[in-house]
Amino acid sequence: MPTLVMPRRYGAVNWRGLWTLCLKDLHRARKNFRYSVLGPVVSNLLFLIVFAMAQGRGGPYVGDLTFLQFLVPGLVIFAVCESAYSTSSESLLFDKMEGMIADTLMAPLTPLELTVGYACSSAAMGLITGAAVAFPMLFVVHLPIASLPLILFFAAGGALMHGLLGIIVGLWAERWDHHAAAMTFIVIPFGFLSGTFYSVASLPALAEQVARLNPVFYVIDGFRAGSTGHADGSAITGGIVVTLVVLALAAGAHRLFRIGYKLKP
Amino acid sequence: MSGHPAADRAIPQVRHFGAVNWIGLWTLYYREVRRFVKVATQTVLAPLVTTLLYLAIFVLAIGDPAHKIGDVPFRSFLAPGLIMMAMVQNAFANTSSSIMISKIQGNIVDTLMPPLSPGELTCGFALGGMTRGLAVGFIMWGAMTFLVPVAVHDFLFVLFHAVAASLMLSLLGLIGGIWSEKFDHLAAVTNFIITPFAFLSGTFYSIGGLPPFWHGVAHLNPFFYMIDGFRYGFTGHADGSLTAGLIVLTIVDILLWALAYRMFARGYRLKA
Repeated sequence: MPTLVMPRRYGAVNWRGLWTLCLKDLHRARKNFRYSVLGPVVSNLLFLIVFAMAQGRGGPYVGDLTFLQFLVPGLVIFAVCESAYSTSSESLLFDKMEGMIADTLMAPLTPLELTVGYACSSAAMGLITGAAVAFPMLFVVHLPIASLPLILFFAAGGALMHGLLGIIVGLWAERWDHHAAAMTFIVIPFGFLSGTFYSVASLPALAEQVARLNPVFYVIDGFRAGSTGHADGSAITGGIVVTLVVLALAAGAHRLFRIGYKLKP
Repeated sequence: MSGHPAADRAIPQVRHFGAVNWIGLWTLYYREVRRFVKVATQTVLAPLVTTLLYLAIFVLAIGDPAHKIGDVPFRSFLAPGLIMMAMVQNAFANTSSSIMISKIQGNIVDTLMPPLSPGELTCGFALGGMTRGLAVGFIMWGAMTFLVPVAVHDFLFVLFHAVAASLMLSLLGLIGGIWSEKFDHLAAVTNFIITPFAFLSGTFYSIGGLPPFWHGVAHLNPFFYMIDGFRYGFTGHADGSLTAGLIVLTIVDILLWALAYRMFARGYRLKA
């Protein structure tokens, strides 16, 4: 009797499908590595050079940190966030516009698996990009690493937060200019105005209060606390805020996949 | 057929034009302008927001209000550089994205088939990109006047450098767009050529503060002259020679124009 091709069986989680979905976006990023990895490395090095030149003096900036020691963690964590965001949002939007999204939706993946798959691959891409951005900078600027767990927690938290936000934007956007608008009017202002480049303690009192309502502030501040020991806010508050925001965004992304928002008729 | 007046009127005639196909040139230019005006949020408003963010960050990070470059306050020094930066990035983006998208989607044939000579193609694209650069610069300047004192010292310098720089980057975008075969290539041109040249040209700092060797290197960068001369037009402060700047920019524009013309004439990566 000839062997019949049987339907593949799996338990509660389709692990192979989940793993394949994760690899899909990582392969795509690898194919476009000039854009996805080298671009951020070069532009962040340029930021570093330009700030070093414009700043001019080498004295202490905050506490006993020089300005560059303060700046490097900000640049690295922002590169993590930006890369995670663009990995998931561009992947979804590209697949939607090219009509290939059906290949992902037809596969036996639950909404939860889709959410986890996209979030994990974009977060991983964010961390890879962040490591690539950090590597050359560490030769130039010495960082007094204070706590590795804090670094890892806030890097992963920031990457997941932006990867999930990227899913939501990728599902919502219908054209590239929607996507660009979300980048210009949400991701970049939240990141730039939350202490990537300066200490929020140096802001006027009202602006400082506003900055502290911004979840990205806690990501950047916690990451900087881990890598330099200097923090403008509390790491515990930061940990709670980041966890809650990640869970809320995950719930939002999961719901969009479940109802098939702009995906299924 | 034989001389019947009604039949003669009904036959469409071949359109005749002289040395320049003015209607075709205008149509190409108009299309290039319409392309960016249609998505003004992305092409005009977004650069404005990004540039104002840069201004906020540099002013907050550098902090010290007494920080001066020569006798110019830092934010008055910075503002013209930021305006110029936005202009050149947008002039570049207009031509490069137009060519790149047309090539990838295959509708570049609609631009190559009409009776447009290589010179008309170069001119239409280049002026379209230049228009976007100037439009963005003008809006940026308007917004900046609310935040930073940007008095105009010499209007002709402002105008010349705005036009020369927008044209230069518009031509570079044209060349980059024709050369690139996928978006990844174009991203490489932006990340490894345009952004470094623009960032390291004294937009954010005075090259007077550089070590002598790098000071010399900075003078080899055409982007330095456009930012320096443009800034002189506003603040009256220049790091380099203004005459050298005028000559360098004119020569670079002519060379780039010739290169773009040659690419269209040969059909480099455009025609089989």
